[in-house]
Amino acid sequence: MFKELDPILHSQLRLAVMSLLISVKEAEFTFIKEKTNATAGNLSVQVQKLKDAGYIDVTKQFKDNYPLTTCKITKAGVNAFEDYVQVLQDYLKVSKKNA
Amino acid sequence: MNNSKDNLSGEESLQIIQEMIRSAKQEQKDNGMGWIVWGWMLFLASALTVINIHLNLVKTYFFWNTFGIATIVMLVLSTIRKNQKKISRVTTYTKEVFNKLNIGFTITLLVIIVAINVSIGPISGFALLTALYGFWVLIYGALFNFKPSIIASYFVWALALAGLFVQTFEWVMIFHGLAVLVGYIIPGHIAYNEFNKSVGRNTKSNIGV
Repeated sequence: MFKELDPILHSQLRLAVMSLLISVKEAEFTFIKEKTNATAGNLSVQVQKLKDAGYIDVTKQFKDNYPLTTCKITKAGVNAFEDYVQVLQDYLKVSKKNA
Repeated sequence: MNNSKDNLSGEESLQIIQEMIRSAKQEQKDNGMGWIVWGWMLFLASALTVINIHLNLVKTYFFWNTFGIATIVMLVLSTIRKNQKKISRVTTYTKEVFNKLNIGFTITLLVIIVAINVSIGPISGFALLTALYGFWVLIYGALFNFKPSIIASYFVWALALAGLFVQTFEWVMIFHGLAVLVGYIIPGHIAYNEFNKSVGRNTKSNIGV
Protein backbone atom coordinates (compact mmCIF):
# COMPACT_ATOMS: atom_id res chain seq x y z
CA MET A 1 0.00 0.00 0.00
CA PHE A 2 1.33 3.43 -0.92
CA LYS A 3 1.92 6.23 1.47
CA GLU A 4 -0.31 9.10 0.48
CA LEU A 5 1.32 11.95 -1.41
CA ASP A 6 1.55 15.12 0.66
CA PRO A 7 -1.51 17.18 -0.43
CA ILE A 8 0.36 20.44 0.19
CA LEU A 9 3.01 19.45 -2.34
CA HIS A 10 0.77 17.53 -4.70
CA SER A 11 -0.38 20.58 -6.58
CA GLN A 12 1.08 21.97 -9.77
CA LEU A 13 2.25 25.40 -8.67
CA ARG A 14 3.23 24.55 -5.08
CA LEU A 15 5.29 21.61 -6.32
CA ALA A 16 7.00 23.86 -8.86
CA VAL A 17 7.82 26.44 -6.17
CA MET A 18 9.27 23.78 -3.88
CA SER A 19 11.28 22.22 -6.72
CA LEU A 20 12.79 25.61 -7.47
CA LEU A 21 13.58 26.43 -3.86
CA ILE A 22 15.13 23.02 -3.14
CA SER A 23 17.88 23.85 -5.66
CA VAL A 24 18.80 27.34 -4.42
CA LYS A 25 19.54 29.04 -1.13
CA GLU A 26 16.80 31.65 -1.48
CA ALA A 27 14.87 33.30 -4.26
CA GLU A 28 12.95 36.50 -4.74
CA PHE A 29 9.23 36.33 -5.45
CA THR A 30 9.79 37.86 -8.90
CA PHE A 31 12.27 35.12 -9.77
CA ILE A 32 9.79 32.39 -8.81
CA LYS A 33 7.04 34.14 -10.73
CA GLU A 34 9.27 34.36 -13.80
CA LYS A 35 10.29 30.69 -13.66
CA THR A 36 6.83 29.28 -13.00
CA ASN A 37 4.94 31.62 -15.37
CA ALA A 38 2.35 32.04 -12.62
CA THR A 39 0.31 35.17 -11.94
CA ALA A 40 1.37 37.24 -8.93
CA GLY A 41 -1.98 36.72 -7.19
CA ASN A 42 -2.05 32.98 -7.61
CA LEU A 43 1.58 32.65 -6.62
CA SER A 44 1.01 34.74 -3.48
CA VAL A 45 -1.80 32.42 -2.37
CA GLN A 46 0.27 29.27 -2.94
CA VAL A 47 3.36 30.74 -1.29
CA GLN A 48 1.22 31.58 1.74
CA LYS A 49 -0.04 27.96 1.89
CA LEU A 50 3.52 26.65 1.81
CA LYS A 51 4.47 29.14 4.50
CA ASP A 52 1.51 28.09 6.68
CA ALA A 53 2.61 24.46 6.32
CA GLY A 54 6.06 25.48 7.58
CA TYR A 55 7.72 24.40 4.31
CA ILE A 56 9.13 27.79 3.39
CA ASP A 57 10.20 31.00 5.11
CA VAL A 58 9.00 34.23 3.56
CA THR A 59 10.82 37.48 4.30
CA LYS A 60 9.24 40.77 3.30
CA GLN A 61 11.29 43.94 3.21
CA PHE A 62 11.75 47.11 1.19
CA LYS A 63 14.63 47.85 -1.17
CA ASP A 64 14.82 51.28 -2.83
CA ASN A 65 11.13 51.83 -1.96
CA TYR A 66 10.13 48.60 -3.72
CA PRO A 67 8.70 45.65 -1.78
CA LEU A 68 11.07 42.73 -1.82
CA THR A 69 9.78 39.27 -0.93
CA THR A 70 12.28 36.48 -0.51
CA CYS A 71 11.43 32.80 -0.11
CA LYS A 72 13.60 30.12 1.38
CA ILE A 73 12.91 26.42 1.93
CA THR A 74 12.93 25.26 5.57
CA LYS A 75 14.27 22.01 7.02
CA ALA A 76 10.68 20.74 7.29
CA GLY A 77 10.21 21.70 3.63
CA VAL A 78 13.30 19.75 2.58
CA ASN A 79 12.09 16.68 4.51
CA ALA A 80 8.58 16.94 3.05
CA PHE A 81 9.98 17.30 -0.46
CA GLU A 82 12.27 14.28 -0.01
CA ASP A 83 9.37 12.20 1.32
CA TYR A 84 7.20 13.30 -1.60
CA VAL A 85 9.86 12.27 -4.14
CA GLN A 86 10.33 8.93 -2.36
CA VAL A 87 6.61 8.12 -2.49
CA LEU A 88 6.51 9.26 -6.11
CA GLN A 89 9.42 6.98 -6.99
CA ASP A 90 7.72 3.98 -5.31
CA TYR A 91 4.54 4.75 -7.18
CA LEU A 92 6.32 5.04 -10.53
CA LYS A 93 8.26 1.80 -9.93
CA VAL A 94 5.06 -0.15 -9.34
CA SER A 95 3.35 1.54 -12.31
CA LYS A 96 6.27 0.45 -14.53
CA LYS A 97 6.09 -3.13 -13.25
CA ASN A 98 2.35 -3.32 -13.88
CA ALA A 99 2.66 -1.86 -17.37
CA MET B 1 0.97 28.04 -14.59
CA ASN B 2 -2.16 27.87 -12.52
CA ASN B 3 -2.95 25.78 -9.53
CA SER B 4 -6.24 24.31 -10.69
CA LYS B 5 -4.64 20.96 -11.29
CA ASP B 6 -4.35 19.13 -7.98
CA ASN B 7 -4.85 15.59 -9.28
CA LEU B 8 -1.44 15.31 -10.88
CA SER B 9 -0.25 11.99 -12.23
CA GLY B 10 3.11 10.64 -11.07
CA GLU B 11 4.65 11.45 -14.45
CA GLU B 12 3.31 15.00 -14.37
CA SER B 13 4.72 15.56 -10.88
CA LEU B 14 8.07 14.22 -11.98
CA GLN B 15 8.04 16.43 -15.06
CA ILE B 16 7.38 19.54 -12.95
CA ILE B 17 10.19 18.66 -10.54
CA GLN B 18 12.65 18.02 -13.37
CA GLU B 19 11.65 21.16 -15.24
CA MET B 20 12.02 23.41 -12.20
CA ILE B 21 15.29 21.88 -11.06
CA ARG B 22 16.68 22.29 -14.58
CA SER B 23 15.48 25.88 -14.60
CA ALA B 24 17.13 26.57 -11.23
CA LYS B 25 20.31 24.87 -12.40
CA GLN B 26 20.64 27.57 -15.03
CA GLU B 27 21.27 29.99 -12.16
CA GLN B 28 24.24 27.89 -11.03
CA LYS B 29 25.99 28.65 -14.30
CA ASP B 30 28.29 31.53 -15.00
CA ASN B 31 28.37 33.32 -18.35
CA GLY B 32 32.16 33.72 -18.26
CA MET B 33 32.00 37.47 -18.92
CA GLY B 34 34.14 38.26 -15.87
CA TRP B 35 36.92 36.04 -17.16
CA ILE B 36 36.69 37.54 -20.65
CA VAL B 37 36.78 41.17 -19.49
CA TRP B 38 39.54 40.75 -16.88
CA GLY B 39 41.40 38.32 -19.12
CA TRP B 40 41.62 40.70 -22.07
CA MET B 41 42.52 43.64 -19.82
CA LEU B 42 45.36 41.69 -18.17
CA PHE B 43 46.48 40.24 -21.50
CA LEU B 44 46.58 43.67 -23.13
CA ALA B 45 48.56 45.13 -20.21
CA SER B 46 51.09 42.26 -20.48
CA ALA B 47 51.34 42.35 -24.29
CA LEU B 48 51.65 46.15 -24.48
CA THR B 49 54.32 46.10 -21.75
CA VAL B 50 56.35 43.58 -23.78
CA ILE B 51 55.99 45.71 -26.92
CA ASN B 52 56.93 48.81 -24.93
CA ILE B 53 60.08 47.14 -23.57
CA HIS B 54 61.27 46.90 -27.19
CA LEU B 55 59.99 50.21 -28.51
CA ASN B 56 60.52 52.23 -25.32
CA LEU B 57 57.57 54.53 -26.00
CA VAL B 58 56.46 55.15 -22.42
CA LYS B 59 57.63 54.24 -18.91
CA THR B 60 57.90 50.46 -18.23
CA TYR B 61 54.91 50.28 -15.88
CA PHE B 62 52.71 52.74 -17.81
CA PHE B 63 50.29 50.04 -18.99
CA TRP B 64 50.02 48.49 -15.51
CA ASN B 65 49.29 51.89 -14.00
CA THR B 66 46.65 52.41 -16.70
CA PHE B 67 45.26 48.96 -15.88
CA GLY B 68 45.06 49.94 -12.21
CA ILE B 69 43.11 53.13 -13.00
CA ALA B 70 40.80 51.24 -15.40
CA THR B 71 40.15 48.67 -12.66
CA ILE B 72 39.10 51.35 -10.16
CA VAL B 73 36.81 53.00 -12.76
CA MET B 74 35.26 49.62 -13.64
CA LEU B 75 34.66 48.74 -9.99
CA VAL B 76 32.93 52.08 -9.38
CA LEU B 77 30.79 51.73 -12.53
CA SER B 78 29.80 48.13 -11.75
CA THR B 79 28.79 49.12 -8.20
CA ILE B 80 26.61 51.94 -9.55
CA ARG B 81 25.06 49.64 -12.19
CA LYS B 82 24.36 46.92 -9.63
CA ASN B 83 22.49 49.40 -7.45
CA GLN B 84 20.48 50.83 -10.35
CA LYS B 85 19.52 47.56 -12.01
CA LYS B 86 16.30 46.01 -10.76
CA ILE B 87 16.46 42.38 -11.74
CA SER B 88 14.83 39.27 -10.35
CA ARG B 89 17.36 37.67 -8.09
CA VAL B 90 18.18 34.32 -6.67
CA THR B 91 20.95 33.23 -4.34
CA THR B 92 22.52 29.87 -5.05
CA TYR B 93 24.87 28.07 -2.68
CA THR B 94 27.56 27.93 -5.39
CA LYS B 95 27.50 31.66 -6.10
CA GLU B 96 27.46 32.48 -2.39
CA VAL B 97 30.62 30.40 -1.76
CA PHE B 98 32.19 31.87 -4.91
CA ASN B 99 31.53 35.44 -3.76
CA LYS B 100 33.00 34.74 -0.32
CA LEU B 101 36.11 33.18 -1.82
CA ASN B 102 36.36 36.15 -4.17
CA ILE B 103 36.97 38.37 -1.13
CA GLY B 104 39.88 36.12 -0.11
CA PHE B 105 41.25 36.19 -3.65
CA THR B 106 41.08 39.99 -3.82
CA ILE B 107 42.79 40.46 -0.44
CA THR B 108 45.62 38.06 -1.38
CA LEU B 109 45.96 39.82 -4.73
CA LEU B 110 46.32 43.19 -2.99
CA VAL B 111 48.91 41.77 -0.56
CA ILE B 112 51.01 40.53 -3.50
CA ILE B 113 50.65 43.88 -5.31
CA VAL B 114 51.91 45.65 -2.17
CA ALA B 115 54.75 43.12 -1.92
CA ILE B 116 55.72 43.82 -5.55
CA ASN B 117 56.01 47.51 -4.72
CA VAL B 118 57.76 47.28 -1.35
CA SER B 119 59.83 44.11 -1.23
CA ILE B 120 59.84 41.21 -3.66
CA GLY B 121 59.86 43.21 -6.90
CA PRO B 122 57.94 42.67 -10.13
CA ILE B 123 59.73 39.58 -11.48
CA SER B 124 58.93 37.22 -8.57
CA GLY B 125 55.78 39.20 -7.82
CA PHE B 126 54.09 38.57 -11.16
CA ALA B 127 54.98 34.88 -10.93
CA LEU B 128 53.24 34.74 -7.54
CA LEU B 129 50.26 36.63 -8.96
CA THR B 130 50.08 34.04 -11.72
CA ALA B 131 50.12 31.23 -9.15
CA LEU B 132 47.21 32.92 -7.39
CA TYR B 133 45.32 33.11 -10.70
CA GLY B 134 45.83 29.35 -11.03
CA PHE B 135 44.24 28.78 -7.64
CA TRP B 136 41.30 31.01 -8.48
CA VAL B 137 40.79 29.32 -11.86
CA LEU B 138 40.75 25.91 -10.12
CA ILE B 139 38.24 27.10 -7.51
CA TYR B 140 35.95 28.38 -10.26
CA GLY B 141 36.29 25.15 -12.25
CA ALA B 142 35.59 23.01 -9.19
CA LEU B 143 32.61 25.07 -7.95
CA PHE B 144 30.91 25.32 -11.33
CA ASN B 145 32.02 21.84 -12.42
CA PHE B 146 33.70 23.44 -15.43
CA LYS B 147 36.45 21.22 -16.82
CA PRO B 148 38.20 23.76 -19.11
CA SER B 149 39.05 25.86 -16.02
CA ILE B 150 40.20 22.85 -14.00
CA ILE B 151 42.58 21.80 -16.79
CA ALA B 152 43.70 25.40 -17.41
CA SER B 153 44.64 25.90 -13.75
CA TYR B 154 47.51 23.39 -14.07
CA PHE B 155 48.87 25.20 -17.14
CA VAL B 156 48.65 28.49 -15.25
CA TRP B 157 50.61 27.03 -12.32
CA ALA B 158 53.24 25.65 -14.71
CA LEU B 159 53.65 29.13 -16.20
CA ALA B 160 53.84 30.64 -12.70
CA LEU B 161 56.58 28.21 -11.75
CA ALA B 162 58.46 28.91 -14.99
CA GLY B 163 58.12 32.62 -14.25
CA LEU B 164 60.14 32.18 -11.04
CA PHE B 165 63.15 31.03 -13.04
CA VAL B 166 63.34 33.81 -15.60
CA GLN B 167 65.57 36.82 -15.10
CA THR B 168 63.95 39.51 -17.19
CA PHE B 169 60.69 41.40 -16.77
CA GLU B 170 59.94 40.85 -20.46
CA TRP B 171 59.77 37.05 -19.99
CA VAL B 172 57.70 37.42 -16.84
CA MET B 173 55.22 39.47 -18.87
CA ILE B 174 55.19 36.87 -21.64
CA PHE B 175 54.45 34.08 -19.14
CA HIS B 176 51.87 36.25 -17.38
CA GLY B 177 50.13 37.03 -20.67
CA LEU B 178 50.14 33.36 -21.67
CA ALA B 179 48.75 32.34 -18.27
CA VAL B 180 45.91 34.84 -18.62
CA LEU B 181 45.20 33.62 -22.14
CA VAL B 182 45.07 29.97 -21.05
CA GLY B 183 43.44 30.45 -17.66
CA TYR B 184 41.06 33.37 -18.20
CA ILE B 185 40.37 34.14 -21.86
CA ILE B 186 39.99 30.69 -23.42
CA PRO B 187 37.87 29.14 -20.60
CA GLY B 188 35.94 32.43 -20.39
CA HIS B 189 34.91 32.23 -24.04
CA ILE B 190 34.05 28.53 -23.69
CA ALA B 191 31.89 29.33 -20.63
CA TYR B 192 30.24 32.21 -22.52
CA ASN B 193 29.33 29.97 -25.48
CA GLU B 194 28.07 27.16 -23.24
CA PHE B 195 25.99 29.60 -21.19
CA ASN B 196 24.35 31.06 -24.28
CA LYS B 197 23.61 27.60 -25.65
CA SER B 198 22.02 26.50 -22.37
CA VAL B 199 19.96 29.71 -22.21
CA GLY B 200 18.67 28.92 -25.70
CA ARG B 201 17.80 25.37 -24.70
CA ASN B 202 16.11 26.56 -21.53
CA THR B 203 14.02 29.15 -23.40
CA LYS B 204 12.89 26.50 -25.89
CA SER B 205 11.97 23.99 -23.18
CA ASN B 206 10.26 26.55 -20.93
CA ILE B 207 6.74 25.79 -21.99
CA GLY B 208 5.12 26.84 -18.73
CA VAL B 209 4.92 23.50 -16.97
